[in-house]
Amino acid sequence: MAILIRSWKGSFVGVAHNPSKPHKAFVGAHPGLARIAKLCFFMIRLENVSKMYGSDLPAVRDASFDVAKGDFVFLVGPSGSGKSTLLRLMNRQERPERGNVWVAGRNINEMANSQIPYLRRTMGNVFQDYKLLPNKTVFENVAFALEVIGKPKHIIGQQVPQVLDLVGLSGKEDRFPHQLSGGEQQRVSIARAFVNRPLILLADEPTGNLDPATGEGIMALLDAINRTGTTIVMATHDHRVVNAMRRRVIQLDRGVIVRDQERGVYE
Amino acid sequence: MIQRISYAFRETIASFRRNMTLSVAAVITSAVSLLLVGTTFLIQRAFDNLLVQWRGDVGMIVFVRPDASADALAFIKQNLESQPNVIDVKKLTYLDKAKSFEEAKRVFAGDPTTLSLLSIETIPSQFKVVPKTTDPTLVRSLADQYRTLPGVTGVSLAEDEFDVISTLSSFVRTVTIGMSLVLLAVAVILIWNTIRTAIFARRREIEVMKLVGATDWFIRIPFIMEGLIQGLAGALVSCGGLWGLNRAWTSGVAGFKAGTGVSSLVVPSGYVSGVMVALLIIGAVAGGVGSGVASSKFLDV
Repeated sequence: MAILIRSWKGSFVGVAHNPSKPHKAFVGAHPGLARIAKLCFFMIRLENVSKMYGSDLPAVRDASFDVAKGDFVFLVGPSGSGKSTLLRLMNRQERPERGNVWVAGRNINEMANSQIPYLRRTMGNVFQDYKLLPNKTVFENVAFALEVIGKPKHIIGQQVPQVLDLVGLSGKEDRFPHQLSGGEQQRVSIARAFVNRPLILLADEPTGNLDPATGEGIMALLDAINRTGTTIVMATHDHRVVNAMRRRVIQLDRGVIVRDQERGVYE
Repeated sequence: MIQRISYAFRETIASFRRNMTLSVAAVITSAVSLLLVGTTFLIQRAFDNLLVQWRGDVGMIVFVRPDASADALAFIKQNLESQPNVIDVKKLTYLDKAKSFEEAKRVFAGDPTTLSLLSIETIPSQFKVVPKTTDPTLVRSLADQYRTLPGVTGVSLAEDEFDVISTLSSFVRTVTIGMSLVLLAVAVILIWNTIRTAIFARRREIEVMKLVGATDWFIRIPFIMEGLIQGLAGALVSCGGLWGLNRAWTSGVAGFKAGTGVSSLVVPSGYVSGVMVALLIIGAVAGGVGSGVASSKFLDV
């Protein structure tokens, strides 16, 4: 699959043979152009990022990688290897001691605090423990994400049933979380993360609490969402899902990236 | 916009319900403290009425017959000024009939029968005398001397009228202001704590709100409103209490014999409503400050 790249005047610039690294077509053209192209094509970019907890315990050390628009990336490694910290750096729940984090072309470390809510509206979050609100129904849980960013009622009434249909929960709108299975609860949480059509979906061990068959269903759903163009970064230590999906794998060990592989397996 | 406002109101009411016992405690505490603040104002005003005649170290008042001639008036004045060792001549003031009548309106605020008997024509004018000496017997003998002057209807001495009341007034003021300040601080802390509890109860919800991109103010406003309403509710209760208190006081004072001085302790209702407005503002500000501080301190999830 090759992509033809044309400049703004319409003249031919280059050919990208690898759809996840289309900017490489520009490298020969002009260094400045290549830099701009990178920022356009990369959804997420980490530059020499280090994050400490406490004084001498680095959670992430000197991490650098790019995630292209529409990519599906697994962050793998044992507990405490820094996977969750990387995700938390991407939505600025954490700030790095060193290095820069770029999201959709903007350096989020330099963003004013007042801008962070707007950054987060471009990303969805899915967690191992779902983080659903127990006193709200399925519909209300999903609607909540739109309500608190000020979306009008008629939009909510339109989008929530749509996304619930997408995740396969039509007909269960009025159930409460405790009336659902773990897999169904995770589907609600995915619906909540996706209802605002984010550019990026960050998933932290989404299959961690689920049995293999249910986890497979969740992965199929994330795969479908990825195919709509949503960039997905998923932290996991679940061998089966990584090996079954054959997507890009970034492996961490004690905060250091030890492997970055296209179509990788867990090992 | 309307949707956001209705969201804030819904959340405020829901949170109030969830936190019923603490909210009620906060409301009662602020009500009691504000009632005390209001009472301080009223007591102050009542004593002021009583003491208005004697403001500015006035120690003796010489009342002049309303029909006294200009010569008689001049004679009295001359007599007063001839004692520069005992009387502070520079501070000697004369209130003509019009000014005296204005003053009487306050002195007899709670005694309408006496007041209705007075008019600008029939009221005595007065010399306000500030004594230089601290020796009471000297002032007293001087007073006895002035009583005999032509045109003088009477002489009042401060020490007979109000020395005890004046001391009592400043004592009561210090105590009530001190107590109401302490209670007000307690009310603010209690509101602060109520909001902290409310935030803690909803921490999961707040975490989700932050992750899906709700702005800080969107999250904060329902909590601030909750504290504000608690302060305001307390103020409303205290206003009711103050109104009842003043009514009971006014009817109690009316039972005293006219002219005993107690009747001037009545506070005009216009002043009471002014105090009520002040209480509402103080209550709302105290609640808003308590909850505002709590919500900015504890919302970092």
